[in-house]
Amino acid sequence: MPRSNIQRSNVRYSAPNSGDAANSHHRIKILKKVVLVTLAIIAVRLFAIQIIEHDHWVAKADEQHTLLEAIVAKRGEIYMMDGDEPAAVVLNQTTYQIIIDPSVTEKDKIQHALATYAATYQTADLDEVYSEEGLRYAIIAKNVPKSIADQIAAEEISAVWFAKNNQRVYPEGDLASGLLGFVNADGIGQYGVEGSLNNLLSGKDGLLKSTADVNKVALSIGNDNVKIPAEDGKNIVLSVDRGLQKGVEERAINAINNTAASNASVLIMNSNTGEVLTMANLPDYDPANYGNVTDASAYVNYVTDDPYEPASICKNFAFSAAINEGVMTPDTTFFNQHYEEVDDWKIWNAEQRSSLYGTLTMRQALYWSLNTGSIYALKLLGGDPTRINQQGREKLYDYYYNKFRLGQATGIELIEAEGYIEDPNEGWGRDSTYANMTFGQNLKITMLQTATAFSAVINGGYWRTPTVVKGELVDDKIVPLGSTSTGIEDKILSDETSAMMREMLINNRDYKVRDGTDRPGYDVGGKSGTAQVVRNGAYDDTFAELVGSYIGFVAPAGEMPEYVIMVRMWGEGQSIGSGDAMGLFDDISNYLINYLKIKPGA
Amino acid sequence: MQDQYITRRHATTTFIQGRNTVRHTRRSLGSISQIVIVSMLTLVFGLIYVAEGTKATSFDYEISSVESEITEMNAKKDDLAVEKARLTSVAAAKTSTVAAVMEDAAVAGYATE
Repeated sequence: MPRSNIQRSNVRYSAPNSGDAANSHHRIKILKKVVLVTLAIIAVRLFAIQIIEHDHWVAKADEQHTLLEAIVAKRGEIYMMDGDEPAAVVLNQTTYQIIIDPSVTEKDKIQHALATYAATYQTADLDEVYSEEGLRYAIIAKNVPKSIADQIAAEEISAVWFAKNNQRVYPEGDLASGLLGFVNADGIGQYGVEGSLNNLLSGKDGLLKSTADVNKVALSIGNDNVKIPAEDGKNIVLSVDRGLQKGVEERAINAINNTAASNASVLIMNSNTGEVLTMANLPDYDPANYGNVTDASAYVNYVTDDPYEPASICKNFAFSAAINEGVMTPDTTFFNQHYEEVDDWKIWNAEQRSSLYGTLTMRQALYWSLNTGSIYALKLLGGDPTRINQQGREKLYDYYYNKFRLGQATGIELIEAEGYIEDPNEGWGRDSTYANMTFGQNLKITMLQTATAFSAVINGGYWRTPTVVKGELVDDKIVPLGSTSTGIEDKILSDETSAMMREMLINNRDYKVRDGTDRPGYDVGGKSGTAQVVRNGAYDDTFAELVGSYIGFVAPAGEMPEYVIMVRMWGEGQSIGSGDAMGLFDDISNYLINYLKIKPGA
Repeated sequence: MQDQYITRRHATTTFIQGRNTVRHTRRSLGSISQIVIVSMLTLVFGLIYVAEGTKATSFDYEISSVESEITEMNAKKDDLAVEKARLTSVAAAKTSTVAAVMEDAAVAGYATE
């Protein structure tokens, strides 16, 4: 191999300077220390974050990526009966509020959209809203249905946005408002069925806890996801008949318009089952706009919430007690001198005609509603026809309070007041108090208590818990709701007592048959009551204000009654006699026969 | 792994005539190769995990969308129920065109035997 001719270069490699090398080493050492210190700081901080402050940071992280929200239960709907079918009277609807920002000047577009789609829902005047300087938020329409909200949203007006809310809807308007009640802004039922059955109607909210992404979409990943479904409220079917309720309310309004009364309440119930068919309170209100009510008394269900003195209607109970004790019959006689003197008080009859002075039967006493007759029944209960005694008072108390359950809550599914029945022995003037109680004064009882007790008087003697709930609507079928009422059935009077009372009550209306008010083929019985009001601790003898009541039943001739109707009419400072209430009863009893197609008896 | 036979004829000092000596050695991956393979596997598994996670999330979005649709449909159903109730309400029936041409009810008559 030829020798290669390689030219060597003359490069000289010099050794590094020993001073520079020392400097470099020194810098590297410093750098190392800086790096180590930095790493140490990071390590300490990491330790603090990951170990010491672990829970705090985990919670912070959870806040960001955990979705936690309540699954709102749907409030139950309320139905009434329409014949044999349930008809919705309270429903739910998702509605929207239309909100605008007046600082964004799109007034013309908004005005046009409102006029085109939502004129009926507009709650604010646009000119007024836009005239207010600096306003950035104004609600201009409420309760707008989704379909209309969608149409307005499609207009893409930048100054408009929507707020969703769940609304309770009452398609029948103010029908039975005193019975139904309303739901307040917090979603809690108030008054009526909405209030008393709020727990059943409201259901139970569920819970959703889940890992979520930035769009707040619940993700299935994660170990702590929880989904508890909501339990919707129960759909409740009332025993009230919608058409009957409407017809009765119309008649009650007519009665108010044609008399001096400002208020009227009507209760119709099935005397054999305790089912309420109508519970009307006039004047009424629109539950969907309950806030517009200026007088809170409009919310009151006077049938259940307001104990009062039904006056001579209570003679039915005093007479029933005496007959049931075997000390009296309709033909028992007494001497009527138009008044009775008890505890140094003279208690007068309202009816003073001279032809009634003398010996009368108890049937006549009930017919003419003589207080002296009912006081005589109390004397007979005590075993001494000449005076009222302790035995008589105690027996009357036993019938009123323990048997007829007057002055006690009946156990219906509604909020109800109790009232009171005076003790037979404690207190001053027991004899005069109990004499008054025989004709419905010196006690406080509700219309519902009165009608329930009256049902027992005419139905063969059975006191049954009244009920306004027929059941729960499940898959379009009515199923029993469970124990919402006490469901008591108590035989308190004999069949004979009941039969005698029915005969006397039908006899009370013989002139109604003669004048054609009561139709042939039907047994209509009844009893009136006109109550004085208490002023300054005493009954007002000027009769400037009276409360008129009437209670009765309707049945095919010769058959057991099935329907009890009770009417009460009153007005502050107005003298409303039982004649006014009886007029309304007459109207309703005939309407009931037509509406329910009750066939005449033989 | 493939075994390789290496002749040791020249490698041994104690060569025996007529006899082949072989040394069995196993060819193994180098450390870099192992790192690369492990990384690749990790990457593949990671991709599979991400793909599955994305798939689950897409299902979640689908579920969310379906739930929104259910809510929407329920709202429409409620609207229709309200509309039906309003149209069949007693007040509506009373003011309907059908009711307008009806005659007032008279007292019903019943045949008696």
